[in-house]
Amino acid sequence: MDHAPARPSRPDLDDLTRSLHTPLERIGVEHADLIEAVRRRVVTNAAVPSGSVAVAAFNSSI
Amino acid sequence: MGGSCRRISQFVLKVHSRCDLSCDHCYVYQHADQTWRGRPVRMSAATAQSAARRIAEHAREHELPVVHVVLHGGEPLLLGAAGLRELLAELRAAITPWTRLDLRMQTNGVLLDEELCRLFVEYDVQVGVSFDGDRAANDRHRVFAHGGSSHDHVRRALALLRRPEFRASYAGILCTIDVRNDPDRVYEALLAESPPRVDLLLPHATWDHPPLRPGSEPTPYATWLGRLHRRWVDDGRPVSIRMFEALRPGGGGTEAFGLAPADVLVIEADGSWEQVDSLKTAYHGAADTGFDVFDNSVDEAARHPGVAIRQDGADGLCATCRACPVVDRCGGGLYAHRWRTGSGFDNPSVYCPDLLRLIDTVDAYPPPTPPAPADRSATSPVDELLDDLATGHGSASTLALLAATQLSITRALLAACRDRSGTTAAWELLVHLDRAAPEAVRAVLEHPFVRAGLVHRLDSSAPPGLSAAVDPLPAIATAAALRAGVPATLHVPVRADAITLPTLGSLVLPGLTESAEVTVRPGELQVRGGSVEQTVLLDPLAPPSASWRPTRDVAVPGGRVLLEDGDPYRDCYGQPVESRLEGPAARALGRTLAAAWEVVHRDVPAHAAALDGGLRAVVPLAPDPARPLRSATARHAFGAVAVTPHPDPETMAVLLVHEWQHAKLGAVLDLYDLVEPGESTRIRVPWRPDPRPPEGVLQGVYAHLAVTQVWQSRAATDPGDASAHAAHFLGWTRDGVDALLASRSLSAAGERFVGQLRHALEETVVGSR
Repeated sequence: MDHAPARPSRPDLDDLTRSLHTPLERIGVEHADLIEAVRRRVVTNAAVPSGSVAVAAFNSSI
Repeated sequence: MGGSCRRISQFVLKVHSRCDLSCDHCYVYQHADQTWRGRPVRMSAATAQSAARRIAEHAREHELPVVHVVLHGGEPLLLGAAGLRELLAELRAAITPWTRLDLRMQTNGVLLDEELCRLFVEYDVQVGVSFDGDRAANDRHRVFAHGGSSHDHVRRALALLRRPEFRASYAGILCTIDVRNDPDRVYEALLAESPPRVDLLLPHATWDHPPLRPGSEPTPYATWLGRLHRRWVDDGRPVSIRMFEALRPGGGGTEAFGLAPADVLVIEADGSWEQVDSLKTAYHGAADTGFDVFDNSVDEAARHPGVAIRQDGADGLCATCRACPVVDRCGGGLYAHRWRTGSGFDNPSVYCPDLLRLIDTVDAYPPPTPPAPADRSATSPVDELLDDLATGHGSASTLALLAATQLSITRALLAACRDRSGTTAAWELLVHLDRAAPEAVRAVLEHPFVRAGLVHRLDSSAPPGLSAAVDPLPAIATAAALRAGVPATLHVPVRADAITLPTLGSLVLPGLTESAEVTVRPGELQVRGGSVEQTVLLDPLAPPSASWRPTRDVAVPGGRVLLEDGDPYRDCYGQPVESRLEGPAARALGRTLAAAWEVVHRDVPAHAAALDGGLRAVVPLAPDPARPLRSATARHAFGAVAVTPHPDPETMAVLLVHEWQHAKLGAVLDLYDLVEPGESTRIRVPWRPDPRPPEGVLQGVYAHLAVTQVWQSRAATDPGDASAHAAHFLGWTRDGVDALLASRSLSAAGERFVGQLRHALEETVVGSR
């Protein structure tokens, strides 16, 4: 059985603020889960919840 | 002294050890501990400096994302405006280089005046006021030494904090309950003060000195609080009440309940490190550690046995508590309430029977929307952020936090690009500059359209290594090198004969091929590629180069804002953007923006502060005669809004406020689900004919609330059209909020956020009368 914790589905506030203190060269190693969470949450074509206003102009979306 | 050390993020500073009230329920003066008698009256500058240095040192060593510092007493306002300014400046200067500093104060409010409120807004201090409810309830205990009432004084202070210009500093009300008071009247009196949050405290008591239990009822505190809880739930939870939220499954977030490790240390007026303040109710000297800020670090104080045992969760509780099925809910109650001479703190809380019954009450009368399991981790930090934004604007501190999370997301995307492309010369230059000139890198990464470029790169379906034409890293690194004055040479992709360096400008050189070699030297750029070999002088005193189109900026009250009409990634608004403006048009737009910004400051200072805190760029949209007045915000471009260059500052001010609401909420939605994922509901709204998705409605009501506030402010001097506009937007906002709440499509965090918005809306209604 795999006991590895599930990756976070969204970037964690503490992780985000803490990663600001990590030099760029180490960020990929020390915050790999955060990078994956950001990639999933933010990058277009990642799973976007139905009905969300993901990109573009809010004024035409509200 | 060995052993591991937990990070401490909350510090209570006893800046003044006397008080101008003489409350008979005060644990500082009226209970077992009397150490206040030997303390200096006020914290000296030297002590404050040492305290600030110790906190900063701890934040730096443990890389704390945030530190909370609470100014406390006695009565902290007795320090006076000058003393407080000096202290606040010291704390900000020492701590903010290392972490976000969340400054708070707990006061009785008696001395609060406009000057102090301005100071607290300036230093972003969140002020909590102690207030026990209606006049009879408040004055049962909270009186002056001569016995006179404090009720009017405290209400005057609360009215000051409610004023729009000071509202950002209004943290909430701390109410100590007394079961002899009428719970309905107390509840109504608290709500009447429109606090962002209410915290209810049980009066401090121990097994040696049990709480007052008038009559024969065994659990009067559960009865009293249960009544208040029912009112609160029936009213739709119109305000955050921390006690009830903490007692829910997965609650916590307060020292009084839950098993989370204790995360607080007190610094007394003489510099002594102490344990939690409430221990003063147990016995004389109960909070002592024997350490002080002059000779001992935070780590040393945190290893004190009295602090360490608070890190052990259920293992630190007595056998009765460990065997109790609701131990994870009450956490054994407040540590001080467990005290009994002989067995020390190894007892259940003296309020144990009340807490048991109150938990049953909370469970039996649940809120309208119980939190989904996925949201149980969303406790106090989320609540604080959302509650603050739900005021309609958000404090400078919250804006700084949102901006920091956006920068962090951009850095993560940058690292993801590096993962995709491997180590390149551009990445290595960025890594070097991040060490040597971090401010230059930061300035570039904060540019709103850098994220859009990174997302575009990561979203490409091209396999790794084959999409150099859209690799944004060389341009980002070159811009950072130029800002830092660091010589460098990179091959930079070319788009439409141009190379755009974020925040700085574009090189437009017909004849370039897919990429060009760009060399950065002090004050100049050399470009070689295709048929082009040219040196561009960037010295503002040098003759202007036809090939260099610098990004223009405008002085506004919040600093400088870029007129972004060159960055290719600004084209992310779903509608055409304007190409580079001619000089006169750019200057005209700049004048309009500067004047509009002044108008925002005039009309809605709280929104202006939020605008100052984050808006960095304005993108001109292409004109469309059929729709001359348009504006837009893009999720991937925090810090920018797009507008048609309308010449009227009053109109432009409304557009800026409206769009900045979207930008803030977009940043929140990067972090939290306010709408249930997968929700397919569509909601009818008054501002469009077609039903909308919940997130669109949420964005709509948040923007319309702010616009309502602008028009209400204008209505004070122009009761005609402005009043009509205010009523129009108020109606839209109210209908939208009600439709959202009725849709049942929101997450628990979303329900809370919109509930708070509705409360802000009611205040807006009250303010318009």
